[in-house]
Amino acid sequence: MNLEHLPSTSPSLSRLIDELNKLPGIGPKSAQRLAYHIIRLPAEEALALAEAITDVKQSVGFCQRCQNLADASICPICADSRRNQEQICVVEDPLDVLALERTHCYRGLYHVLHGVISPLNGVGPEQLKLKELLTRLEGGQVKELIIATNATLEGEATAMYIRRHLAGRAVKVSHLAWGLPVGGSLEYADELTLSRAFQGRQEI
Amino acid sequence: MPVLKTYRTEALVLKNHPLGEADLLVVCYTRESGKVRATARAARKVSSRLVGHLEPLTLVNLSLTRGRTLDQVAQAQVADSFPALRNALPALSRGLYVAELLDGFGSEASPNPELYSLALEVLAGIGRSPESDLPLRYFELRLLETSGLLPELYQCVECRKPLVPGDHRFTPNGGGTLCSQCAPLGAHLRPLSVRTLKVLRLLHRQRLAEIPSLTIDHQLAQELKATLTASVEHWLDQQVRSSAFLDHLRRTTPAEPATESAAHA
Ligand SMILES: [Zn+2]
Ligand SMILES: [Zn+2]
Repeated sequence: MNLEHLPSTSPSLSRLIDELNKLPGIGPKSAQRLAYHIIRLPAEEALALAEAITDVKQSVGFCQRCQNLADASICPICADSRRNQEQICVVEDPLDVLALERTHCYRGLYHVLHGVISPLNGVGPEQLKLKELLTRLEGGQVKELIIATNATLEGEATAMYIRRHLAGRAVKVSHLAWGLPVGGSLEYADELTLSRAFQGRQEI
Repeated sequence: MPVLKTYRTEALVLKNHPLGEADLLVVCYTRESGKVRATARAARKVSSRLVGHLEPLTLVNLSLTRGRTLDQVAQAQVADSFPALRNALPALSRGLYVAELLDGFGSEASPNPELYSLALEVLAGIGRSPESDLPLRYFELRLLETSGLLPELYQCVECRKPLVPGDHRFTPNGGGTLCSQCAPLGAHLRPLSVRTLKVLRLLHRQRLAEIPSLTIDHQLAQELKATLTASVEHWLDQQVRSSAFLDHLRRTTPAEPATESAAHA
């Protein structure tokens, strides 16, 4: 069977390729390859994939507290009473929570903004889950906010915006240290990273 | 003559977009080549030598390889990261406003060295007075001038008579100031007070660093902003997106001073 000629003869395959092509990082070539791969899969495997997509769209929502993606109205992290309820780590998106959880060094709670302030793209504070964050601070139980937005210009703008909005509140606001990546050499670091790494130096 | 495959240039990074898994599409403005769009392979990896060197509002020394559609960043070294802009929100948001206009008016086909110098002059000005909008107004007027679109400020664009002191009108789509007698069909008209016209002329005559301290009340600031932004958006044929965040900051700033800078000495 010559699969290269299928798209023109099979509207349903063309449709699958079109849909895959819409995914981030998937170009037309990769979309074709994936589609042909799916065609060759045993029926139950292909259906399991389709089912997983349907299921995730039906059951995943936002955790009422931290706004992370969750199957229930409260996510497992927020529901875990052993975690430090006085700390909230603010991140840009759900993948950042996974990355920080992998380190096993943070035992507080999270708050997912679902984006960053991006003036050039017309994304302002009101498009982020910031109101929800301010609501969480109202009870007075939270003592420290750790801002862990990316070290990009937009991540920094978002961090500065949050700090500005919390000025005068009885909550300690800190930021993840900026510094050199492991394996990074001084020679290639930009001057902003270097000067901040210097300011954030620690006694050893 | 053989075409050089790589070239070096100083560039102001205006914006960047993620591309694929770990690449970056960088848009910057240069003195010699105008606007340049280039890809930077793997620049989003923490381990990349390029990471941190290609953020918006950074002046970098670039080494680029010519490509068929887009050039590729081979090396990047920060020359100035404008810490005064990067460490405070008012200055940062004003810097981004400059970057957006530079992106909108800058051309990939024709270099404009004057515009490049202007942008650096204005970013330095924002760093000196981060809460002031005067550098932005200066930038807008000079941007129009270096693009050959300077609004007329000294005579009526319709009857060509010199403007006599009084209240005039301003037409962004008709080229500038109108006397009180003329009202051409199809021109969008805005009122233009004598004091706004005076500040516009001052911005046109003086360099930013030499403009004396001005007391600019809220109404004058609004009129200057409306007049120049209307002109800029007319030529851009779209709204300046980053102005929404600037407006938001102005609205939410507690106890903003009424003057643009210190009063007269
Ligand atoms: Zn949660
Ligand atoms: Zn006239």
